[in-house]
Amino acid sequence: MKPTYLNCLSLLGVGGAHPGGLKLTKDILLKEDIDKTIKVLDIGCGTGQTSAYIANQYECDVTAFDSNYVMLEKSRERFSELSLSIDIVYGYVENLPFENLSFDLILSESVLAFTNTSKSISEVKRVLKSCGVLLAIEMVCERELSNEARTEIQDFYEVSHLLSENDWITIFRANGFGQVNVEKVKLKNELNDLDNTAEFSLSENIPDDCFYILKKHEYFTDLYRDSLGFRIFRCNI
Amino acid sequence: MSITHHYEMCCRYKGRAVRIRCRDGSVHTGIIRNVTRNRVYLQPLGPNRNLGGFGYGYYGYGGFGYGIALGAIATLALIPFLFW
Repeated sequence: MKPTYLNCLSLLGVGGAHPGGLKLTKDILLKEDIDKTIKVLDIGCGTGQTSAYIANQYECDVTAFDSNYVMLEKSRERFSELSLSIDIVYGYVENLPFENLSFDLILSESVLAFTNTSKSISEVKRVLKSCGVLLAIEMVCERELSNEARTEIQDFYEVSHLLSENDWITIFRANGFGQVNVEKVKLKNELNDLDNTAEFSLSENIPDDCFYILKKHEYFTDLYRDSLGFRIFRCNI
Repeated sequence: MSITHHYEMCCRYKGRAVRIRCRDGSVHTGIIRNVTRNRVYLQPLGPNRNLGGFGYGYYGYGGFGYGIALGAIATLALIPFLFW
């Protein structure tokens, strides 16, 4: 397995691998009308933390989707431990294996940024019902960066472009989302709050590369703390 | 803090990244893999073969990373990682 940031997350089994963790997910979902009858798609489900939470909390139909087999296996273990019946589907967001107009709610927790955003967003739009909602928590570039910094970040995280808030809005609009609401959240550093803290479901053998990547990620997090942020995008068609 | 207190904390934080400071001054960072009545087992957040960086003294490897005696712990805190 190639030692990349995303592969490293999968071997470490990082749950809640998006800004704000499960705490922010819960807060965002509280504002939505969710009941037993709706169909939810969690693209880039990772280890399945959010999917499990939704299925458990709202007892609705949830599909957990990811392009990483290690992540999906960790999701499967989680769902079976919790006796949750959640569909697990492998694939790429750029080419979703679902019928048109299938879901009421689609969640993207730091996922679209790692894909070909235009292609992915148009696919998400295709499988979303016309009255459905896309909730996306995504990385944004907060300020002008030098070319070196930009390249360094893009190469390390394997994102094709670092997008500003306005870039995101433009792409959502261009791919069929007429209404885009943006929220900027400041994370409180609540000490020792489990929902705020990433959980790890470690694989048996973790190559050393993985830990170097983790170290580099920590270094970048600190170095670019003012340059990289995130937004919550709530998009309707 | 008592051993019971640290035992309960370690159980709660299983699967999370923590920083443990021991009474002897050594500091250990890692992910809690397992907890017994008197030890907590950490998966170090670093290359496995290099134990030198994790303080002095002997920390034996078990099937669950390496163990630290609960009685040796002075403070224990979650590490707030941010992931994209």
